[in-house]
Amino acid sequence: MKRRRSVAAVSLTLGRPGYTVNKRAARQKIGPVSAKSLSTRGFKSVRLREVDRRLIRKRRSKEDPVISQSKTTAPIPNATHRKVDEAPPGERLRECGISVRAIEAAAAQLAPAVTLLGLPALEGREWYRLLREKLAPQLGADAYLVVAVVGGTNIGKSVIFNHIADSPLSASSPLASGTRNPVCVVPTGFAESHELPAIFPEFDLRPWTSANEALADTPDDRIYWRAVVDTPPNLLILDTPDIDSDVQVNWKRADGIRRVADVLIAVLTQQKYNDAAVKQYFRKAAEEGKLVLVIFNQCQLPDDDLYWPLWLDTFCRETGVSPRLVYVAPNDRRAAEEGRLPFFEKPPTSWKVNGASSKTDAAASPANLAHDLSQLKFAEIKLSTLSGALTHLMSDDAGLPAFLREVETRSGAFESAARWLSSESVIKVRDWPSISNPLLVAEIRAWWRQRQHGMARRVHEFYDTVGRGLLFPLRVAGDKLRGPTISPLEQYRRNEWGAILSVIEEVYDRLNWLSESASQLLKPFLERMLAGKSRSQLLEQLRVDHERVDFGQELSVTVNSEMRAFEEGSPELYRFYRQLTNVSAAVRPLTSVVLFSLGWGPAAHVLSPMLAPMVDLGAHSLVPIVADFATGAAAAAGGDAALASGANLLEARFRRLQTAFTTRRVDWLLTRLKDQVFGAVPRDLQTAAEVPRSEAYRNLAQAAARLDQQLADVTKASPEPNT
Amino acid sequence: MTTPELAQLEALSQVDELVERLTRWTAEETVWEPLRSSRALLKRVLSRVDSLRVRLEAPLVVATFGGTGTGKSTLVNAIIGRECARTGRQRPTTTRPLLIVHPNADLNALGFPIDDFDVSRVDAPLLQDIVLIDCPDPDTSEDDAKGSNLQRLHQLLPHCDVLIYTSTQQKYRSGRVADELGLASNGCRLLFVQTHAELDQDIRDDWQSHLGAHYDVPEVFFVDSLRGLKEQQDGGRPSGDLARLQQVLTTQLSAAHRVQVRRANLIDLVHSAVDHCRNTLRDYDPELDQLEAALEDQHARLVRSLADNLTRELKRSSALWERRLLASVTQLWGFSPFSSILRLYNAMGGLIASLTLLRARSSAQIALVGAVQGFRWFRARQQEQAAEGRLERLPATSADDNILREAQVLIAGYAKSSGFDSALVQSGSLQTLRKQALQVEEEFLTDASRRIDQIIDGIVARDSGWLVRLCYEVLFAIYPLFVLVRVGKNFFYDSLVGNAELIGTSFYISAGLFFILWSWLFVMSFCRRLRRHLTGEIETLAQSLAEQRITGEMFPALAEACRQARLQRSRLDAIAVTVTGLRPERTGSFGSPRTAARRLVTA
Repeated sequence: MKRRRSVAAVSLTLGRPGYTVNKRAARQKIGPVSAKSLSTRGFKSVRLREVDRRLIRKRRSKEDPVISQSKTTAPIPNATHRKVDEAPPGERLRECGISVRAIEAAAAQLAPAVTLLGLPALEGREWYRLLREKLAPQLGADAYLVVAVVGGTNIGKSVIFNHIADSPLSASSPLASGTRNPVCVVPTGFAESHELPAIFPEFDLRPWTSANEALADTPDDRIYWRAVVDTPPNLLILDTPDIDSDVQVNWKRADGIRRVADVLIAVLTQQKYNDAAVKQYFRKAAEEGKLVLVIFNQCQLPDDDLYWPLWLDTFCRETGVSPRLVYVAPNDRRAAEEGRLPFFEKPPTSWKVNGASSKTDAAASPANLAHDLSQLKFAEIKLSTLSGALTHLMSDDAGLPAFLREVETRSGAFESAARWLSSESVIKVRDWPSISNPLLVAEIRAWWRQRQHGMARRVHEFYDTVGRGLLFPLRVAGDKLRGPTISPLEQYRRNEWGAILSVIEEVYDRLNWLSESASQLLKPFLERMLAGKSRSQLLEQLRVDHERVDFGQELSVTVNSEMRAFEEGSPELYRFYRQLTNVSAAVRPLTSVVLFSLGWGPAAHVLSPMLAPMVDLGAHSLVPIVADFATGAAAAAGGDAALASGANLLEARFRRLQTAFTTRRVDWLLTRLKDQVFGAVPRDLQTAAEVPRSEAYRNLAQAAARLDQQLADVTKASPEPNT
Repeated sequence: MTTPELAQLEALSQVDELVERLTRWTAEETVWEPLRSSRALLKRVLSRVDSLRVRLEAPLVVATFGGTGTGKSTLVNAIIGRECARTGRQRPTTTRPLLIVHPNADLNALGFPIDDFDVSRVDAPLLQDIVLIDCPDPDTSEDDAKGSNLQRLHQLLPHCDVLIYTSTQQKYRSGRVADELGLASNGCRLLFVQTHAELDQDIRDDWQSHLGAHYDVPEVFFVDSLRGLKEQQDGGRPSGDLARLQQVLTTQLSAAHRVQVRRANLIDLVHSAVDHCRNTLRDYDPELDQLEAALEDQHARLVRSLADNLTRELKRSSALWERRLLASVTQLWGFSPFSSILRLYNAMGGLIASLTLLRARSSAQIALVGAVQGFRWFRARQQEQAAEGRLERLPATSADDNILREAQVLIAGYAKSSGFDSALVQSGSLQTLRKQALQVEEEFLTDASRRIDQIIDGIVARDSGWLVRLCYEVLFAIYPLFVLVRVGKNFFYDSLVGNAELIGTSFYISAGLFFILWSWLFVMSFCRRLRRHLTGEIETLAQSLAEQRITGEMFPALAEACRQARLQRSRLDAIAVTVTGLRPERTGSFGSPRTAARRLVTA
């Protein structure tokens, strides 16, 4: 079989038609709320910090009188707190709740795209955790406070918790990292009026039954809660696992509690106040605007009176925490076990290094932690921590705007990578086998036969029958001589499979080359395609598909469509051809020769066995030579210009048919290659490149912009306090 | 020479041998990426091992290690018996490491960057044989940035031989310190000390059980450093575990024990590095298996397709079969009337066939020509091709190009995912692959020819025994005998006695004609008989050919690389066994890491 060089281009086209138009339209739609515009305006974080500072200043100014006053009077009933809630900033913050929930929904929608872009998952991002665990449940709820006792392992967190709860709810042990799951004390009736699981979305809430439960290791994160009568109203107090042991799940749980909490009771000791793990934890707390109470536990009193201001100073400097209250507790194991550990409150005046006398008077009455906690101004603290969380959420360098920017940048990188890939991945398909001429011609004849009628058809049929009859013995003899031959279609199938393999080879070579020079972004995609397993799957699938192709059908479809186009495209030529056929019925031998020049007709069969009776060559390899010879002879014999040009036209036509068939076959391969080799890759790349134009992203950006606006209103609504 | 001395020398020579083996192992070239990176790592470790061997006899370096506030400096003071390290209640207290040496010690011999240390020379009996370092803590720095305590500690650790790991009730389960210890303990003996005995409860059992997962912990000391120091300053001897600790430091780290301790450290270091590399290599096991399976698979496919082609052609080449069979039979029968006829027939057939054979095209033809002849022919043809520089596919190769292509595409993928240089497959290109396939085919055909010879011998032996021969010879002889009798009778009797005419030429012509027909009949029936079992035999042959083992490889370079990878791995495994065997049971009160380090310090 003669191989004609046909060239077709394969390209991993990634762009859709109308791609640029879509992009522009999308840009216009989201124009005012894209991350870039957010960040250029970028004052929300500053603004929020201002709110924070004002709030802090406000409470500082009131702080001392309130606490000292409340120590002597009864706890302020709930109603007084409500009053503060109605202050404009609080109200406005609640409005933010809607935007926050919109952000949460949009972010969840965007999660698959984040994975696709290869960015760290949302669950690993602090702003998202805050959004889900702090802001969504607590924005708009009433001012209950979540107080958590936190600190390193084995420094008496559980002991302090038991002191606050006034009962041994959390088991303490001399061995480290005892507490594995948080224990929570809630006021009576709180669980009925609130949805506890909604407050702690990351935890599985279980009623407390025994102190030892918290020591048990569980695969899931649990909180053991118990309603206690004496707990100050609207106060949830938690004992948390440690933040620094080799049990990492403890850190994770402590982090979860930190996000939810409003007030952190930081338990520090001389060994641990400057530990890296401790510092990291409280730095985050400071960034989120948590209220921190510091307890220096296990102090060597009175020796350590000199040192704790130094420790406090280092701790505050390293973490950015500014504690509301500071306590010092002595290293008195027996008192701790018996629940009568004294906590000495240290007034702010004594906090300074080398400041006023910080001497602890052992005879002074120790503070009551639970009572002090109940005296905190709930609404104000709530407002502060919520706005702290909002600040973090909208912070330009670690929050949502940064995330949006990250997505846009990464997506842009994907877009350029995808462009690069599609421009570099053009390969040429050479040496695609062409279908044997006799087959094609037979098909054309069949097609023509359908269109002929009357005399012409009958004459043709007569000649065909006679031809077949004459050829029969020759064919049988040839088969006997050469042994059974494979049919031309089967031969074509084999040749085409070879061509397919060389195309695949070239595709993989190219992909290999691409994967070596590709950016890190594309590498995983390319490596996935190049793995041995995916290759064997591809080959297997292609082989099965290829076996299934009905080439006869393919051929007749091609001939049909091409001839139709021929018929419609140039009616004159068609008429001419018709005429020619009509004539040819009468002068059959001449037409036969002309057509034979294209390898058509019985002569090929007749001639090749005669020319090669001993030399066992395939019939088809001789055809071109014979054909060329015959064309010359016919042209010379005919000498008719019209006929010659007709033959040329036919020849051109014929080549087009070959090309059409080859194109059809190459196309078949490409479709499968795209499905099998590239699989979801081009689609994935395209999706990744278009994330900023996706609906989820637009929703998220819009919600972020809305929240930004609302926060601006909050700032306006909270007037500068007189200082 | 005394026996202990000999034992020590022997121990040292074992280490030398081990290092030598490892060095040899790392020096070899490889195309397997994981092996290359493992070797690079081991080379780094070996350089550290070398520095250890250089100072095998130098005083042992004992360093404190532990979280901030666990009383490292206080313990150092208590061990020495006087205040030389600054202690405090502010964290971190120690930032510059303090080197405590005997006044006579030669600092330069230690090979330390002395500028990074505060040096204190103390004339204490304990310091006769060792050098003490008070280290900064590993847990106040959030990363090992330049100038941080952690960075200073990391620089120090490779120089230490013994670590005194101090901890307290508060800190014994600190995650950071545990991580750092995992890093630091490679190639160090460990002493475990719970400090703050005056304040804290005894948590040694819990600590020991936690350490037990990763370390060998013979004992944990429970030390009240402050009281110990005071007792010594008051001129007494320290009480409790501190005294034992001092005892351990003086007796078990004396000059006599140096080599022993260092050797144990060295072997530990090598052990953890080797383990680490083995784990790395083990991670590639599934990929390597897949690659080998794929190679095997493709090879089997090639052989199968060769067998299929051969069978098909063998079935078709009945003429050749006939000739071989007849040749065999006539050879067996020697000279006799019928066998002469057979020989004649075969010779005529051979004349025609030789024309075909001159341009033998199919593997079946080559195989059927016979093992010797066919092989010679095949070789000649191949040499001729090579000489012409045309590496195009020989017409004789029946291995399908498509199969080769598929194999190439697949194997390249598997090779890539198992970390082999893709050049091993890619550089081959189809031309080389064809050459390889040709070699496989050559082997295949040689084998096939041999089998065909056997088949022919078998058929001949079965179908042309003496009985058959007798039948054929006798039956065949009837006609010539008849003609002979007829002619003889005519010649000797009829013409002499009866004066009848001699039989004319026409008789001989017709007799000759009938003789040819008669011979043809016999030859045909005999050939038919021979061919009777042929189809069945070919089927069995095809079956056995498809299953035969062909040692030739389609991808020899890759297959060799695979084998090398396995070999190198097993050699590393063997080294690991030796290392494990060399590890001492336990050196005194010292602990050591049990498992391979998660990270390795190689500098």
